[in-house]
Amino acid sequence: MQTGTERAPTVSHGHGAARRFFDTFRGHPTLQPPTPPGAPMPRKPARVRTSELRQWYVVLSSQASHYFRTNRFLGLLGFVVAISCLTLAFEFQVGPAVVRQVQLGKVSEYLSNFITYTGLWIILAAAFFGGDALSVDFSTGTGYYMLVLPVHRRTLLAGRYASATIATLAIVLVYFAFAILGASYFFGLGAVPWHRVGLALGLAVIYTLAAVSVAFCISAFLRSPSAGVLATILSLYVGFTTLQATVELARYEPWWSLTYAGNAMAAALDTDFVHLTSIPVGSGQYTTQWMATTGEGAAIMTGYLLVFFVLSLYLYSRKEATG
Amino acid sequence: MPSVEVAHLTKSFHRGTPALEDITFRYEGARAVGYLGPNGAGKTTTLKLLVGLLRPTSGRALLNGREATANRKEALWDVGALIETPEPYPTQSVREALETVGRIRGLSREGTHAELVRLHQELRLPRMGRRCGGLSKGQRQRVVLAAALIGDPSVLLLDEPTSGLDPAERILVRGLLTRLKKDHLILLVSHQVVDVAEICDDLIFLDRGHILLKDSVEKVSARTRSRQLDVEFLCAVPPGALSALGSDVGGVVPLSDRRYRLTFDGSDAVRGRILEGCQRLGPVGQFSNATSALEEAYLDVVVSGSAK
Repeated sequence: MQTGTERAPTVSHGHGAARRFFDTFRGHPTLQPPTPPGAPMPRKPARVRTSELRQWYVVLSSQASHYFRTNRFLGLLGFVVAISCLTLAFEFQVGPAVVRQVQLGKVSEYLSNFITYTGLWIILAAAFFGGDALSVDFSTGTGYYMLVLPVHRRTLLAGRYASATIATLAIVLVYFAFAILGASYFFGLGAVPWHRVGLALGLAVIYTLAAVSVAFCISAFLRSPSAGVLATILSLYVGFTTLQATVELARYEPWWSLTYAGNAMAAALDTDFVHLTSIPVGSGQYTTQWMATTGEGAAIMTGYLLVFFVLSLYLYSRKEATG
Repeated sequence: MPSVEVAHLTKSFHRGTPALEDITFRYEGARAVGYLGPNGAGKTTTLKLLVGLLRPTSGRALLNGREATANRKEALWDVGALIETPEPYPTQSVREALETVGRIRGLSREGTHAELVRLHQELRLPRMGRRCGGLSKGQRQRVVLAAALIGDPSVLLLDEPTSGLDPAERILVRGLLTRLKKDHLILLVSHQVVDVAEICDDLIFLDRGHILLKDSVEKVSARTRSRQLDVEFLCAVPPGALSALGSDVGGVVPLSDRRYRLTFDGSDAVRGRILEGCQRLGPVGQFSNATSALEEAYLDVVVSGSAK
């Protein structure tokens, strides 16, 4: 039943038109059922068997729109922008001459030093977007909304994985933009080694995929969303970094470490790249410092990506909503 | 034809007692089935097993002849489910949350919009641009009910669909479900016996993982006699005067100086004698059952365990 204040419902075909149409609804003053009892039900809407790819895209866009509005994303983006701005402001303050001298007069050195922190941002973003991406289904009501739909869990996981990767890469791209901005200012736009920047960015993409895989696996294993976020940060950043340093002291290459592989991003920009550095510690003893080569880093990252993605897929598919 | 079937379904959690033990029932075609029982009886567990949120320890749970644990996309294709308290992403608008469901269910963009218009009218949904995180409990309940109904699936599994709704909204939803059952198969879990009595054609009483009774609402109601009467006199009658009704009345509870609740054996003969006796005491304004037949049946079957 239509009241005097309501417009007759129509179907709008354009997205903008639909948005305007729906926004005209402002509550209903009457509680009379719109269709009286006994009235025939409307014709069944036409539905087609959606492909998994199509469903994946729907999940991806829905999840991405959620991520980009969360306080986590906005907070992390704001933090990265603030740190980058402070760094550039300090460098502007000391002046181009000093900056060029500190960076040995090389734009690649400048970029490499700036990009070094990309790994940290990737781990934080992967933990924020992936650390609870699957556990929310079993600890909050999200699962009762999404897991009762006619969609395979693998499709849900793949859609969420892609959106978590996109959200993380958005942070990375902003940071890279600041690095290029600084390099252009202090060394000139023409001096920027675009092929090396592209290589570092490519490695950042693989590193992001690997870190999100690890975060998803932790999220599929744990039930608490906050524990998943914390465990991702602790294992990827604190755990790997500590173990890596210990192993290097014993003169072994930490080829199993994801954070070690992440160093390849900065190494890709460094023209004075050294794979192994021996550091004397006295009494004829020495310790080592390792830097992953581009190929080695990419291989380690790909290994993490594949192993943890498959593991998270297995765990998520088997998990029950017992809560 | 829509169908819901569970065959020798058992579910155990860890080493505890089974939440469900050897449950079997099958319903086919358009109808509404009430699934009743106290908290912890295993009602929600059954729904979770049907949609594949849980895996059975043994037995099978089928929707339209398919098991969700084997192929959830096919099994849930024509199924709408509202289980526990679903929560769309709080950052999404009502429109976005429902569009996601519609598109996953295979509706076109235009079809989804048409469904949103229909459901907006049917369920009096909040404004489509509002964020889900800012909705009241009742508004959110109507949104998640709309999510279950979008695309018009032929099987509906509804766990307390009127939970959190005000009386007017409950009437609205009851009316909608009463119309939907004409061409849908609805499995309705509810503690609201009034809702079940009005909507459902069949009943399953469940307790501690076992089916106590399975029959049509009509037969259960006919079998059950109300044992409590509410009498309202048009003038004040002192409680002592009701002793004149004799041994037919087992107990008298005064509700006011004119209203009394009487307990009796439930037979029609005694009911008639009590009415006559009351009319001798003073003019009777109202003489009715204190509880519905279904409420009595629930108390009989589940609380007293008479079906055992």
